[in-house]
Amino acid sequence: MTARPPRLPGPLDPIPDESATDRPTAPATRHPILGHLRASLVLVVLAILVLGLGYPAVITAFAQEVTPLTANGSLIDYNGTVVGSSLIAQNLSAPWLFWERPSPVDYNSFNGSPTLLGYSDPALYNETEAYMQEYGPFAVNASVPEILVTVSGSGLDPDLTPEAALVQIPRIANVTGLSMVELQALVNANIVPPLLGFIGPSYVNVLHLDLALEKILPAKFRSS
Amino acid sequence: MANVSNPLSLVGSYLDVAITFGIVLAIAPIFGAFMGRVFMNRPTFGEGIFGPIERGIYRLLGVNPRHSMRVREYAIAFLLSNGALFAWVFLLLLYQNQFPVLNTAGIPDMSWDLALHSSSSFLTNTDFTHFVTESQVSEGGLLLGLQVDMFLSAGAGLAILAAFIRGFVRKDGTIGNYFVDITRAVVRILVPVSIFGAIVYVLLGLPETFATSVSYHTLLGPIQTIPLGPAASWQSIMLLGSNGGGIFAANSSHPFENPSALTDLFGVGLMMLIPFSAPFAFAAAVRRKGEAFPYIGTILIVFLVALALVIIGQTAANPQLTPIQALSQNSFYAAGQETRFTLPEGALFQTVSVYANVGANNMAIGALSPIGQMSMLFGMFTQSTPGGVGTGMGYLLTNTLIAIFVGGLMVGRTPEYLGKKIGRQQIGWSASLLLIHPVLIFVPLVATLLGGFATLPTTGVGASAHTFTSILYEFTSEAANNGSAMGSVYVNDTTLWFNVVGAAVMLIGRFFPMLAMLMISHHFAVQSPLPPGPGTLKTQSFTFMIYLTLFLIILTALLFLPAIALGPLTQIGAGG
Repeated sequence: MTARPPRLPGPLDPIPDESATDRPTAPATRHPILGHLRASLVLVVLAILVLGLGYPAVITAFAQEVTPLTANGSLIDYNGTVVGSSLIAQNLSAPWLFWERPSPVDYNSFNGSPTLLGYSDPALYNETEAYMQEYGPFAVNASVPEILVTVSGSGLDPDLTPEAALVQIPRIANVTGLSMVELQALVNANIVPPLLGFIGPSYVNVLHLDLALEKILPAKFRSS
Repeated sequence: MANVSNPLSLVGSYLDVAITFGIVLAIAPIFGAFMGRVFMNRPTFGEGIFGPIERGIYRLLGVNPRHSMRVREYAIAFLLSNGALFAWVFLLLLYQNQFPVLNTAGIPDMSWDLALHSSSSFLTNTDFTHFVTESQVSEGGLLLGLQVDMFLSAGAGLAILAAFIRGFVRKDGTIGNYFVDITRAVVRILVPVSIFGAIVYVLLGLPETFATSVSYHTLLGPIQTIPLGPAASWQSIMLLGSNGGGIFAANSSHPFENPSALTDLFGVGLMMLIPFSAPFAFAAAVRRKGEAFPYIGTILIVFLVALALVIIGQTAANPQLTPIQALSQNSFYAAGQETRFTLPEGALFQTVSVYANVGANNMAIGALSPIGQMSMLFGMFTQSTPGGVGTGMGYLLTNTLIAIFVGGLMVGRTPEYLGKKIGRQQIGWSASLLLIHPVLIFVPLVATLLGGFATLPTTGVGASAHTFTSILYEFTSEAANNGSAMGSVYVNDTTLWFNVVGAAVMLIGRFFPMLAMLMISHHFAVQSPLPPGPGTLKTQSFTFMIYLTLFLIILTALLFLPAIALGPLTQIGAGG
């Protein structure tokens, strides 16, 4: 056996009084109320300068130096122009493209976050049914993932599950004349797997997927 | 409808959640011991850096750090510094458009009632927002106002906890020096961890810039404008300090605040750090290591049950949607969730956020199953499992005092804790502190409904119960200083009534309990500790932990069951 560590105070030992450094010696401030008021005001001013301004300034300087791409919004450059952000959904509802999840705030963060219908609200049925119609037509036996036809927490969700992308293929194939196999291969090539195999889901970034799709679309559908 | 093809992926999706939880629980005792040293003015890690900084601050403030205050002086210092902060932020928001330098987007001044609600909300660590951040708050208002609130309100919470704990340790009737307490909490705990968190967030891809927006033509041509800002530094203190008010309106479901599963889990760690370390901080402060056990045990039991309920509620198919033939309700996704988080990741963040009184959202609470909503409400009813930064542990200690008192009466023992007698004064303040909570929830709720400031829809019991729940949720969130919101399409909560009443609920819900904690501390601090006798209750036991858990659950259920019955339970009954 190794040497026993020194015995810690048990539950029934009296608490040793703190040999504190802050025994009462002199008043905290010269005047009881005015002194505290002055201390309070100085505390707020200090906090404004150091915590309000200094803290984000230092972190911003660091970020702009180390990760300028993501620090400025993860913007995507396509053929020399910015077409969006990898992280923010945009309206891609053209018949020949993969669509983002619906957004009651019109993919505009300045309109706030969407207020969702309640879980037990019968109106949820109608809303989802309407989105089903809008996002279709789907294949006859398709099972449409709930995520595609319901609203996300932010209204700006830039991603889809692979199933929610695959289910849109018949519509795109129909409009563009591209083969289903070709489109499936495109989706599969754009699936982002879980980090290290267990962190996060498998997902597809819709804007990245559509930019890849642009390259194989017939010329009349291309945006640029 | 469950549609999980690969069982390995099911296990995998809980693995990262379990690892995150494990890491925090491994750090908590170490960080808690550090916090205890900070609270009790003992030298800590980094003394050579922090010490001189703090001495400089004391000199600027003009306070003598060696002076220890009695309760009256402590409360005056606490209220004055909060009053100064409130006045600053209120005026800043009210006149934000008068300072074009701090308002490059030309955002209009806030109305007085919205400024009142917003400044009260961030001052009280609630961060319940009635504004759309992107279009209603200037960058000056955000950084120089609300962000300062986020640091100082968390610091104030820690200061009050330190003062509360001193009651168990002191016998000279003093409970510490408020300015020393808040300075040490901010300098040694909040700032270093925030900087660390912000750097990690930067590396994980959050925006961090002083630009407020960027515009471009989307792939299909129209112009899209997206907001920007120093999100990494904001998100870090917002989660660490149990604040929860997002730099963007969509909060932590906004992809700029929470771009990946990794940032989600890191955020969980930041939110859990201080509240889950607090029991260990208490134990270290009173120099009884085992005293952390009943508290962390109680917190874990209640929290894990709540998390399980949220996940179970979300995996079930929504009966409103099952009639849609072609719709596949994958058990891991539902309306209101973001694609980039699996259900366990999303649910862990959301449950930690509400239970630690942060109030950040990474999914829409309004779209949660009624069981999930009930689980969220329960966390805000207890406020102590683990509760917000500093205050959560204070509430848990208060509950413990009542539990010991009641337990002592049942077995005929003198109620005492850590050698201090629990007398009439302590029980009176503890009881009033706990009872003000239901009063602050139910009085405004009833007044709102009877006064016609919100009406329940008549389109069905489900919609009606959901709207009732969302009003209940609003006042509960404000009274608990939580800040998460359920929202309802049927209620506009940005009216004069909701702003003014909400501000009052938040201010009373914050300051009355804190002053009560100071009074409890005072009544302990004037006692000399008693030597333990044969009648002393052993709190460091499994039995006491279970007793405390059951006591907490029963007390909460007795106070709040009728409201839960009218809200979430009716939703379940209505086929939701």
